[in-house]
Amino acid sequence: MAERKQEADHQRRVYSDITQLIASPENPTPLVRVNRVNPDKDFQIYLKMERYNPFGSVKDRIAFEMLKALDTKGRTLVEPSSGNTGIALAAIGNAMGIPVEIAVPEKIPEEKKVILKFLGAKVTEADDALCPIFPSEGARGLVNALIKSPATRDSYVSPNQYENELNVQAHYRGTGPEIWQQTQGKVAYFFAGFGTCGTITGVGRFLKEQNPKIKIIGVEPSSANHKLPGMKRITGLAEEFIPKILDRSVIDDTVTVSDEDAYQTAIDLARKDGIMVGPTTGAILYVALQYAKRNKGLAVVISPDDAFKYTSFYQEVLNAASLNNGGGI
Amino acid sequence: MAKTFDLSGFICPLSKIKATEVLNNLADGDTATIILGDSDSLKSVAQELKARGFMPNFKQEGERFVLTVTSSGQ
Repeated sequence: MAERKQEADHQRRVYSDITQLIASPENPTPLVRVNRVNPDKDFQIYLKMERYNPFGSVKDRIAFEMLKALDTKGRTLVEPSSGNTGIALAAIGNAMGIPVEIAVPEKIPEEKKVILKFLGAKVTEADDALCPIFPSEGARGLVNALIKSPATRDSYVSPNQYENELNVQAHYRGTGPEIWQQTQGKVAYFFAGFGTCGTITGVGRFLKEQNPKIKIIGVEPSSANHKLPGMKRITGLAEEFIPKILDRSVIDDTVTVSDEDAYQTAIDLARKDGIMVGPTTGAILYVALQYAKRNKGLAVVISPDDAFKYTSFYQEVLNAASLNNGGGI
Repeated sequence: MAKTFDLSGFICPLSKIKATEVLNNLADGDTATIILGDSDSLKSVAQELKARGFMPNFKQEGERFVLTVTSSGQ
């Protein structure tokens, strides 16, 4: 007989299954202050370190919310993902006995593909120019076709993180209240990247409801052809490709960042503060550091994941830096 | 050898992926008839055929599009 699921005991850190470790206001991911990369005492920056979720990223939250509500009726779950949502869905799917297929863009790091395969997910790489319907997002197009094609639609179901309001709700009910509690209501700036737009919409909405003066800043790559997996350049994107869950009314400013600045900031953070993050954190933190030059207050930067899934990407940057510096890094 | 591949149950880009598999497996002199069920699929498969140098024979049957190609070992 299966043992009855117990309530999570965060005090003793005892859990009856791995999903109970997913962050919540009762079990928040840590806020860690950046001290040496940002020595400015008038604009303190805290990283919301989402790597401490059990499957390693901010996407654990939304994957769990979406899967709990999804009646798969024996169908295979399929989702486009640059890796983190896919990893979370595959792991949670395993815990729930749901088969998972993930369509990934070509440009994600090999490390993420290996982890997906390690979890047993079927991984399909989709060329971004696969179809004129989704001219720059082949993975989304492929999943759209699996869900809608008469030959396959009865076999697949997709949570569709780009349109699923539970993506927003996971952050409205979880990440946002956590930040509010952890900063004791002192947060004045919140920085997040544009991707599916669930984080910035959900957290932004919650924080604005607590204090409309809180500034919500969205970060996007400076080019559509970037190397920041999970981030999306919203500016200039045709309306039909902008995630439907994005609520622009909560966003005060949109700032672009280059790959170079993002990677360099992530490397600086590791070398000066000992905090190892993915390149998207580098991108968002870079923008927060620009704000620090002309503003005052407490800032929270979402840190979607850690450095370990991007070692091959970092290796390229470090090798290039080594060449440019005559052998030294 | 001549074979027919009914891909009308797949929309783009699945139709293009399936058609590409068909083309990849054609031997010299083989003829493949590919049936597609929507105009987006026709557009993307036609692009693929053009990129590979195929000159398909085309006809429309109701809402279905029929492309016939013969491999000359390009």
